[in-house]
Amino acid sequence: MRVLCCLDGTNTQQVSHAAQMFSTAEPLTIALLTVIDAGPRRDMDRTRERFWRPPLRHGPLTDEMQDAERAVSEEVLKAALGDLPQAETLLRQGLPELEIVNAAAEWRADVIFICPRAEYGEPPHIGPRSVGHVARFVLDHAPCPVLLLRPLAGEQFPIRR
Amino acid sequence: MFLFFPLSEFWRTLLASIIGLLTLAGIMTRPFRWSEARIAMIGAGTLLLLGLIRPADAVRTLLRDWNTFLFFLGMMGLSALAETAGLFDWLAAQAARFAKQSAARLFLNVFLLGTLITMIFSNDATALILTPVVYVLVTRLRLPVLPYLFACTFIADSASFLLPISNPINVIIISRFPLDLLTFLRLLFLPSLVVITLNIGIFYLLYRKQLRGSFEISHLPTAEKAVKHKAYFRYTLWVLALVAPSYVVASAFQFPLSVVAIAGGLLLLAGALFWKRVTLLEAGKGISWPIFGFIAGMFVVVRAIEDTGLTHKLGKLLLHLSRGTSFGAVMVGTFGSALGTNLINNVPMAVVMNSSLGSIQHAAPAIRNGFVAATMFGCDLGPNLTTVGSLATILWLLILRQRDVDVSGLDYFKVGVMVTPLMLLAGAITIWLCL
Repeated sequence: MRVLCCLDGTNTQQVSHAAQMFSTAEPLTIALLTVIDAGPRRDMDRTRERFWRPPLRHGPLTDEMQDAERAVSEEVLKAALGDLPQAETLLRQGLPELEIVNAAAEWRADVIFICPRAEYGEPPHIGPRSVGHVARFVLDHAPCPVLLLRPLAGEQFPIRR
Repeated sequence: MFLFFPLSEFWRTLLASIIGLLTLAGIMTRPFRWSEARIAMIGAGTLLLLGLIRPADAVRTLLRDWNTFLFFLGMMGLSALAETAGLFDWLAAQAARFAKQSAARLFLNVFLLGTLITMIFSNDATALILTPVVYVLVTRLRLPVLPYLFACTFIADSASFLLPISNPINVIIISRFPLDLLTFLRLLFLPSLVVITLNIGIFYLLYRKQLRGSFEISHLPTAEKAVKHKAYFRYTLWVLALVAPSYVVASAFQFPLSVVAIAGGLLLLAGALFWKRVTLLEAGKGISWPIFGFIAGMFVVVRAIEDTGLTHKLGKLLLHLSRGTSFGAVMVGTFGSALGTNLINNVPMAVVMNSSLGSIQHAAPAIRNGFVAATMFGCDLGPNLTTVGSLATILWLLILRQRDVDVSGLDYFKVGVMVTPLMLLAGAITIWLCL
């Protein structure tokens, strides 16, 4: 079974835990995927266009941005490799939702592991709109089954009507 | 002049109006992905070739606005050379240090830093230089990027009427309708504070969940690392310490602000050349040269439209819509300018409004000042509605959205639509109260 694990910088433990639960499936091949989101750069380029400036392509600022993006992505992959040392690593750049489904097709994933959204210290979000735009797109467009790793949110239950 | 066949006044007026309106429509829609500068220059060139504006009039128009051209040059030079010194990276690192590991406090500091930079360097520096610097910082700190990028992009416009130099639009309008510093501050300082506070408050509410976290101090870059050359950095601080109060003094005495900006830029350039931080060619690359073609083209096109009496009629219409009250003047000026900036960009809108407001010169001072302050306010803050481009860009993004791809530019639009009308209304009411 080929499992593609999508890392967003905040879900390493969740993804590792889920992958370990599948470790009895033989042969199990895991790939850890992290995507450098090109969205913010595109927005910055649009803002530059508004101020009659060409897109940021070369120069110290671009180098710094690339260094920071790459360093953080590599750190995320390294942290996940600590739990899943046999895994392959994939680092891509672009719109995360597109990169994930394309990577899944190219790598011939049997299943994609993805979390509903990146969580930055807030309590797990359940209910409407709890699935972010990236996970939603992957659910809609994936070339294989998708396992949505919802956070543990038992303390928010029972849901009252 | 170059018109090879005689035309009656009616046809000349009609032709000039059509070319002017086509130029504005071209800037709005940008056919063939042509730049706004090219479209404005084509419009101006056509008017000149057809003899619909005399070359002498065009030259006179451009010479009359020398302060605007030089201010743009000085402002861009100052920002680019201060960036070379590492000033913005250093300030961002300090903002993170003062945040004491709190994501929410860093968010506030980014707003405050954006306000400070906009106030001294103009909105250009905040939107174009501070944004990528903050992006690098928050990426390194493993914080969610979008709220901080939104903060930079929005505060660039929200803080751009604190001082006359905080946005080149202010200089364009003040060049035609001089306001002494005290009047400027009386009319626009308090609205600035109201709008900035509202901006920060609403953004905290919107992003409160993402700002709950903290960051590790070990990921924080040292402020010293940002400084590429200590002597040049110190020199830059001294020059800016001289330039900032000079701007205030120049505004107070209605001395051309461009002279201060150019002098500051030249001082920084001399230092950068002395310490070999840039070459002249590299310094030149820090300037957006097409902007001068764009502004020149716009000045000529609007001058030709002005000769047809169209902008005069627009001015009369604005006055009529205001019902001759100061409240009406502020509301019509604010929302009319804000809408216009989202259609044709804020520089053409400011130039059109400048020409139109010529017809309200003889209105009561409260109405005249109301229109002038509201025009600056609307043209400065209006772009926050569609902050990553004009309405045409947003329409294009909406089309992309139909293909199911999430377009992050639309996030800006959603936030802009939610926040900007509120800020415009609150600011306009404050301007009216300050009249």
